[in-house]
Amino acid sequence: MVDKITVEVIKNAAIYASEEMGIVLRNTAYSPNIKDRLDHSCAVLTPDGRLVAQAEHIPVHIGSMSVGAFNTLRYLEEEGEVLREGDVVVVNDPYIAGTHLNDITMIKPVYVDGDIVALVANKAHHVDVGGSVPGSLGGDVRELIQEGIVIPPTKIMEKNELKKDVVRLLESNVRTPHYLRGDLKAQIAALNVGEKRILELARKYGVKTLLEAWEDIIDYTSRYTTSILEELGVEGSYIFEDYMEWEEELINIKLKLDIKKNNIIADYTGTHRQVDAPINAVYGVTVAATTYALKSVLDPEMPINYGFLEVVDIRVPLGTLLNPKKPAPVSGGNVETSQRIADVVLGALAKALPDRVPAAAAGTMNNIAIGGRGWAFYETIGGGMGGRPGKDGVDAIHVHMTNTLNTPIEVLETEYPIRFLEYSIRPASGGPGKYRGGNGMRRIFKVLEDGVTLTVTGERKKTRPWGLRGGKPGTPARYAVIKNDGRVIELPSKARILLEVGDTVVIETPGGGGYGDPCERPRELVEKDLREGRITLEQAVREYCYNP
Amino acid sequence: MVIRVGVDVGGTFTDIVVFNEKTGVLASLKVLTTPRRPVEAIMRGLDELVKNYGEVRTVIHATTLGTNLFFGQAGIEPPEVVLLTNRGLEDVIEIGRQNRPELYNLFFDRPRPLVPRDKRYGVKGRLDPSGKELEPIDPREIKSIVEKYCKHSRREKPIVFAVSLLHSYRNPVHEIKIKQIIRDTCPGSITVLSSEADPQPMEYERTSTTIVNAVLKPVLSKYLEELLGELQRREFHGQLLVMQSSGGVASVEEAVEKPAAFIESGPSAGAVAVAYFSRLQGISKALGFDMGGTTAKASSIIGGEPEVTTLYEVGGKMHMGRLVRGSGYPVRYPYIDLAEVSAGGGTIAWIDAGGALRVGPVSAGADPGPACYARGGREATITDANLVLGRLPEKLAGGRVPIRRDLAEEAIKKLSDQLGLDVVETAWAIIKLANTVMAKALRLVSIEKGHDPREFSLYAFGGAGPLHAVELGEELGVKETIVPPEPGVFSALGLLFTDYKHYLHAPVVKRADKVADRELEEIFEELEEKAHRILESEGVRVNKRILRRFIEAKYWGQGYTLRVPYMDSVEATTKAFHELHRARYGFSSPEEPVEYVIAAVEAIGATEKPVLHVEKIKLRGRIVGEREVFFEKGWEKTTIYQGYPQIGEELVGPVVVELPDSTVLVPPGYVLSIDKFGSLHIVGRGG
Repeated sequence: MVDKITVEVIKNAAIYASEEMGIVLRNTAYSPNIKDRLDHSCAVLTPDGRLVAQAEHIPVHIGSMSVGAFNTLRYLEEEGEVLREGDVVVVNDPYIAGTHLNDITMIKPVYVDGDIVALVANKAHHVDVGGSVPGSLGGDVRELIQEGIVIPPTKIMEKNELKKDVVRLLESNVRTPHYLRGDLKAQIAALNVGEKRILELARKYGVKTLLEAWEDIIDYTSRYTTSILEELGVEGSYIFEDYMEWEEELINIKLKLDIKKNNIIADYTGTHRQVDAPINAVYGVTVAATTYALKSVLDPEMPINYGFLEVVDIRVPLGTLLNPKKPAPVSGGNVETSQRIADVVLGALAKALPDRVPAAAAGTMNNIAIGGRGWAFYETIGGGMGGRPGKDGVDAIHVHMTNTLNTPIEVLETEYPIRFLEYSIRPASGGPGKYRGGNGMRRIFKVLEDGVTLTVTGERKKTRPWGLRGGKPGTPARYAVIKNDGRVIELPSKARILLEVGDTVVIETPGGGGYGDPCERPRELVEKDLREGRITLEQAVREYCYNP
Repeated sequence: MVIRVGVDVGGTFTDIVVFNEKTGVLASLKVLTTPRRPVEAIMRGLDELVKNYGEVRTVIHATTLGTNLFFGQAGIEPPEVVLLTNRGLEDVIEIGRQNRPELYNLFFDRPRPLVPRDKRYGVKGRLDPSGKELEPIDPREIKSIVEKYCKHSRREKPIVFAVSLLHSYRNPVHEIKIKQIIRDTCPGSITVLSSEADPQPMEYERTSTTIVNAVLKPVLSKYLEELLGELQRREFHGQLLVMQSSGGVASVEEAVEKPAAFIESGPSAGAVAVAYFSRLQGISKALGFDMGGTTAKASSIIGGEPEVTTLYEVGGKMHMGRLVRGSGYPVRYPYIDLAEVSAGGGTIAWIDAGGALRVGPVSAGADPGPACYARGGREATITDANLVLGRLPEKLAGGRVPIRRDLAEEAIKKLSDQLGLDVVETAWAIIKLANTVMAKALRLVSIEKGHDPREFSLYAFGGAGPLHAVELGEELGVKETIVPPEPGVFSALGLLFTDYKHYLHAPVVKRADKVADRELEEIFEELEEKAHRILESEGVRVNKRILRRFIEAKYWGQGYTLRVPYMDSVEATTKAFHELHRARYGFSSPEEPVEYVIAAVEAIGATEKPVLHVEKIKLRGRIVGEREVFFEKGWEKTTIYQGYPQIGEELVGPVVVELPDSTVLVPPGYVLSIDKFGSLHIVGRGG
């Protein structure tokens, strides 16, 4: 048995090795996606692919590394491939690696004297992996192959030598090969640092101790999660359902959350079958979004590794929106469906723990891609956070599965032919409540040249972010184009449109739902919101029982 | 006038260092900070050490009170600030970069916007990104806003207008016109322009920097006025200088122009002191490790210069040693780059839901403090663990504060019962964990910039630094550990070694291949002229001035800039950029276009430095006994040594060296010696 202090020290070292890999990856990466948006994560796993420690900077990756590593090892075994010392495997097949094609995963085994002691791995969002549109996140694709090159687990290094033919093959299938090359190298540099740290641990404590410590660290997380469940004492079944929008249809996501004394079963049976649209979420994304929501409510400090998944059983029937069969397209699963999964888990948890769960947030990342001759730009836009027990929701912010930065207007206007008219908090869009839902955002810009394509991938246009305990829903999204002649074209939540010089794009993101009866909101807070223009007088009178 | 004074106002203690150039004698003192009126503690301490204020040449002031000043906690009410910005962009200052500071905490708060929404005005007037006017400003509109607020402006509490318009870094004409209108309409008010406070692109960061300056301007003026008044009442005729977070000093007049550059300067002084000593001792790579009561801070000093960052947020929170973006108010001035972790003497150990021992982030602070202080603290802290392991004497601060081992044991026992370990094992586990966390911070500041910690010497200071440093150094694999003189007040000592420093810059924002040498030359000359004017006003003689030119550049499309020395031509500078990029990040892309964002001039006015000699250190050391101390391998009979050894004397570990304000722990296998600068060097035997 390894003593407790040593386990603790090794645990911290493994967490830090993951963080350090992240630093190296960020510092050496080339594309702004990784450098600024921190769309990457790094991990240490047991030799058989169970997650020990992970450092992620964006919640949509949380826990998904475990799924990816398992699948990759199984694939290699089936293909008769052996992971040898000095090998690095690259994979982005979402049905194996567990997110979408843009996320390229790399895994390296760490050997000590011929024995494998750990895997180090990382995953990074590459700016383009080919497919039908720049950036690879097309809104109107019908199959995976249109979303870019699919890489099954492939050795990109052997005996610590880069296999240049593999790199060239990948480069030839993307639009920005120099970014891809630079970022792949950064991923390898990060793996090498992780490997070094694990080797140092093995040298210091011995292989046997290290292998035992991994087990103890995983057990610790199971124990931690179980003890949190015991403390809560909210055993029971909680059912919740919410919807995604596709063409004229609403696509349901249904969850039965069984909280037991020692474990949780999240069962998504009853969820809509998979669709021929990029809003399917592979199992890895479903795991990440479920994990995110549980961690946030049960204990934001909760460590996440394989031990968590031993306590939390996530069941999704194959062939559904949340566990599709190849070759359904999945690019939007990460960005949009993941938000709705989080909503559904939070909705179920709200029934068990009403004092811990906020009303629904905007529930979409409002993905906007625009481009013309020789330029393209992609961004996500935040919305309102739901009202919270005891606190208002926050206005105009990224909530739940993403946390990427905006691009400054001064940078956008300098680099692209657009001019901003407004970037503001969307007044009165937060759902009324004793604790008000956060207001969404308004981003309005004019296009300064002809032949510009706008692609919108949004949500919550037909449905609204729900309120809780008497709180009202938030205002839905609005995506529109004001033509240069003054005509207004309202867009659906998934749209593509050609723009002309002088056309104005209007994006209004959803407000969060309210929490509690709005008539119970203290008068001075209603008046403060009025003074600051966060609600309208009409809304105050109608919704907040305000008498001026 | 032969006396120089350094004052470092921290959250708990105010440290004072007084150096007499004639006698070479250095005196120091720690007094409890008086947060409601910091000047009180400063004067109390100074009065004890300074007999004749007429002899004082300079008083150099640093503080970590910035955030407190900000929220009016230091007894000075923050001013009413009104923001004038472009129509439609009033909320930029609240939305920030749209990210949240915590990923999994559903109850997070965004930092309260410093200007409430109803005091942000969107006005007419718009430029395009090249600086060309698209729409003129409307003077009547501005006048009517200013008039509305001017009514509340009083002499003792003037109204402050912050002005930040899109692309003003490119063309400040609209902002300047607005300033004139404000001055004409409301003479007693203060105006801060974004084009003066921070002339570079990215509207959120520029506006934030502008507003932080706007809030602090009257606050800092009043605070420094008060301090100067107290000094002058005591016949002080010397110069009051203020430390900046970038590591240089400036006059009071300059300080109140860019107050945001002065508010978190205390910890920077420690890094400056390390820089000074590393230059003296010929050490090219140094790590500064400053461990106090609540936090440990790490800095890296390469070639005698502390590493500097411009990604700083006032009042920001730390995660894994690093600033969490969006947790505070961005200020885009150079700050000495410090990694910070919650590990200080007062940091509390506890058991989490999974039954694991954890250390921090909660601290018992100075009040009630560690359990052993017997001031009502019941929880086990790092200090308690050190005491139980025999590492600390039973009297602290030169024998003035008695501490109680039995209370420390009692507190740790509560944890050990749950862990199934004994008290000593638990104490050892606390120390090991704390060291792991601190090693993280030290590793961060070295590896983030592409360095290897093994090439570094570790300078340990702060009350608790020398106690942990050697074991930490072993974990990092550093070359040696150095405990500089006066470790307990080393940061304040650093104030005596600072130079005047100003960083002036102007936007370029162009691809390198579209910039002409001539164009840069003009920008630099203008900046240098301004720099000379400032140094002149501070009384720095021409032969003491050093002006250095820099370009802040990046690859087109990249998010971060690198600061490159200007090599007298665009071509040579671009080449140097590629080389620096390779050195720092492991690769370069000469085929990619490079963008010049900023041209900058760093202006340094060298000050006279005090010369410290070891013979002036009065405390000749001697062995005073021995006791059992716990190390990695168990209890060891350990020599207790009080004071400083002599040059040539070697103390072989295990030994505990008790200094007046700090304790140095030398584990078995290590040897301690002193150099002529009064620094203790601890190296592995045979290493």
